[in-house]
Amino acid sequence: MKRLTDVMLPIATLVIFAMLWEFGVRWADIPSYTLPAPSVILHSLIANWPSLAASWWFTLQITFGALLLACSGGILIASVFSLSPALERAFFPIAVVLQVTPIVAVAPLILIYVDSTTAALLICAWIVAFFPILSNTVTGLRMTDRNLMDLFRLYRASPWQRLRLLRAPSALPYFLAGLKISGGLSLIGAVTAEMVAGAAGRETGLASRILEASFRTETPKMFAALALLVLTGVLIFMLFTALSRVLLAHWHDAEQLTDTGRTL
Amino acid sequence: MHHATAKPLVELREASKRFKSGTLALRDISLSIDAGEFVTLLGPSGCGKSTVLRMVAGLDSPSAGSVHAPALTTDKVSTAFVFQEATLMPWASVFDNVYLPLRLQGFAQREVKSRVFAALKSVGLEEFASSFPSQLSGGMRMRASIARALINDPKILLMDEPFAALDDFTRQKLNDDLLRWHQERAVATLFVTHNIAEAVFLSQRVLVMQARPGKIMHALRIDEPYPREPSFRTSMTFLNYCRELSVALERAMLTETSAR
Amino acid sequence: MVWRLIQSLMLMATLAGISHAQQAVTFATNWKAQAAQGGFYQAVADGTYKKYGLEVTIRQGGPQVNNRPLLPARRIDFLMTGNLLHSFDNVKNGIPVTVVAAMFQKDPQALMAHPNQGYENFSALKNAPIALIAKDGQFSWWQWLKVAHGFKDEALRPYNYNLGPFLSQPKSIQQGYSVAEPIYIEEQGKFKPVVHLLADHGFSTYSTLIEARTETVKNNPDLVQRFVDASIIGWVNFMYGDRTAANARMLKDNPEITVAEIEASVELMKQQGIVDSGDASVDGIGAMKPARIADFYAQMVKAGLYQAKDVDLSKVATTQFVNKQVGVELKKTLTNVQAMSKN
Repeated sequence: MKRLTDVMLPIATLVIFAMLWEFGVRWADIPSYTLPAPSVILHSLIANWPSLAASWWFTLQITFGALLLACSGGILIASVFSLSPALERAFFPIAVVLQVTPIVAVAPLILIYVDSTTAALLICAWIVAFFPILSNTVTGLRMTDRNLMDLFRLYRASPWQRLRLLRAPSALPYFLAGLKISGGLSLIGAVTAEMVAGAAGRETGLASRILEASFRTETPKMFAALALLVLTGVLIFMLFTALSRVLLAHWHDAEQLTDTGRTL
Repeated sequence: MHHATAKPLVELREASKRFKSGTLALRDISLSIDAGEFVTLLGPSGCGKSTVLRMVAGLDSPSAGSVHAPALTTDKVSTAFVFQEATLMPWASVFDNVYLPLRLQGFAQREVKSRVFAALKSVGLEEFASSFPSQLSGGMRMRASIARALINDPKILLMDEPFAALDDFTRQKLNDDLLRWHQERAVATLFVTHNIAEAVFLSQRVLVMQARPGKIMHALRIDEPYPREPSFRTSMTFLNYCRELSVALERAMLTETSAR
Repeated sequence: MVWRLIQSLMLMATLAGISHAQQAVTFATNWKAQAAQGGFYQAVADGTYKKYGLEVTIRQGGPQVNNRPLLPARRIDFLMTGNLLHSFDNVKNGIPVTVVAAMFQKDPQALMAHPNQGYENFSALKNAPIALIAKDGQFSWWQWLKVAHGFKDEALRPYNYNLGPFLSQPKSIQQGYSVAEPIYIEEQGKFKPVVHLLADHGFSTYSTLIEARTETVKNNPDLVQRFVDASIIGWVNFMYGDRTAANARMLKDNPEITVAEIEASVELMKQQGIVDSGDASVDGIGAMKPARIADFYAQMVKAGLYQAKDVDLSKVATTQFVNKQVGVELKKTLTNVQAMSKN
């Protein structure tokens, strides 16, 4: 029963908001090229579904492709850092540089250096998504229980055993926290890069549809593409929240349920 | 009773430990433990009891003097350590936690499944094999920690105030159980505590330490035979032992204040 | 002392009264100040707008700036756009704006290539491995190029108004204004690029259009007429008269440009007949013929950019403010003066 209200409440809020929007636009007679009503947007979404769906798929591919690369890169480099403090001290500043680089400025440059537009977009989204995963995983690997480390030393565990059986599980909650952040950032990076640098032909995502609609003054279509983007962001968040719960619920504070069914 | 003719399992000869910060934690500690003996280090907080334990475990090395212990040889691992917190891996089940030492030695799970269950049974946790540490009480977690310690039949068991965080009732129960396991496996035990009654009930020898720098300033032999019944706790001999240790402890704390 | 104060106050009041007689007008362009906007800057700099009772503020566009939504939103009064496709889109989407004048008879939109790379013929361009096209073009005339001339999306690369990629890749082509980019390419790349004007290959749109809200046309046609007329005069003076003041004004708005570049651009505009050719030489700059608009639309429908019924052509433009031979006499005077001063 409680689960049902959990789900119904946000949906009800959205529906009420949409209704207010719809009636507000009609009552104030706002033209659809300025602020389209939800019904107009929905109509545009359906009418343009083939091109919007294809673009949505492309944006999803870039987002998750970059996320996958960010995860592998982040985990790999964090592991290397945990095994060699010297390497960490040497290369961590580079990672920080990546974090503070404004994608808006860098995207056009990357497009000049890299031939394939898709590759350039992947790189841009990766740059944005990489740092939180690296930083959080490095912290997580470091946060290993002191006594457990001693225990592993006592039993003469190899560095590989220590990494696999102790450090990695210890780091998992931190990694997942980083992943939740990076999921949304990867989407933003993919969209921003495409918006700033542009893309063409079949290799285009929702950002191109938004630009195109904006240039052609097709405002309802623009909103339809935006709605899909927002939906994607929400779905990503929900996906990683659920993943976190599945992996951590049985043991980590962050996901534990108290007797009243609320998370701590 | 132990036999003086056999070579001691653990021997410290004038071992000292100075930390990087400059503090002299231990000065000229000399002690020996024979196979199967139960020895307790008793002393106030900060007297270096844990440091002695860590040196025997090979986790710290002395700045001067020598330490001989199974952990410092190249023989297969025969030292076990029980921390004050149960120190279980929270993401792993009780079974996986107890299996860990064997896993680190390279045993596959199916090879040693029965051994793990046997260990769980001996600490009374056989029904909680698939539970997770967060689902267990403090006492149960400590049992799991002990099961893990005993899984690879250690020659020496090192315990650092393992029952300090538990309530009195659970502590006494675990004291009884510990003696039972000690007898069943004939494992030498070096036990650290600041609880006098516990020291007397469990040990064959109690070494009283004073702090800063850590030194053994009193040794007491407790001749009560094993197994020790709960009635031992209320006997006159028990009380006398406790008094002697109490006096020694007071002296230990006095020297500390006067040394300031 | 008090008398002085009263005099100053009276003077201020008079001046305030005078400035109220000038109507404030905002005109937004589609790029940073350049020669292709010269006529408007001329009308501001030499007081022509003021003579017509208008206090005009020019609001620049730029690479990341899109001024078009400002017109229907009533934030500006007049808008400069680059081609009729924007107007078709407006009408298709029900946006109440319309074209009132076409300052360019030819669209300077062009494709440029390196010399001696085999692009001397327009038909070779579609095989270029890299075509640098900006977003604006990508969603409009590039679509026409694909259908009408066989260009392919695989070649398209985003053009971010940086000449670097074109200059460093000899086999690439890029977009530009035929009266502007070739000058910069010659400066930076030290070579004269091959220039293909889209207008020469079927892209018959008018360019540098003045747009106004339909409500302005209906309720205040006098304002529109004055603005159009003054702009036409401004263009005549810019092309054929003394444009030093206009140049200075453009430099102020866009410090990245130079007088030499502006002058070179004007030359090209004359050579290519961008502003003042065909109908304009007879009917005055800004001339528009509905037949030509309809023909262009038909071609765009053929190219698949629109469906035939998408756009009500009667709403696209109104010719009530142009085709009145405004500026034709002035041009004759100025060109005679030039001819005489040459003798």
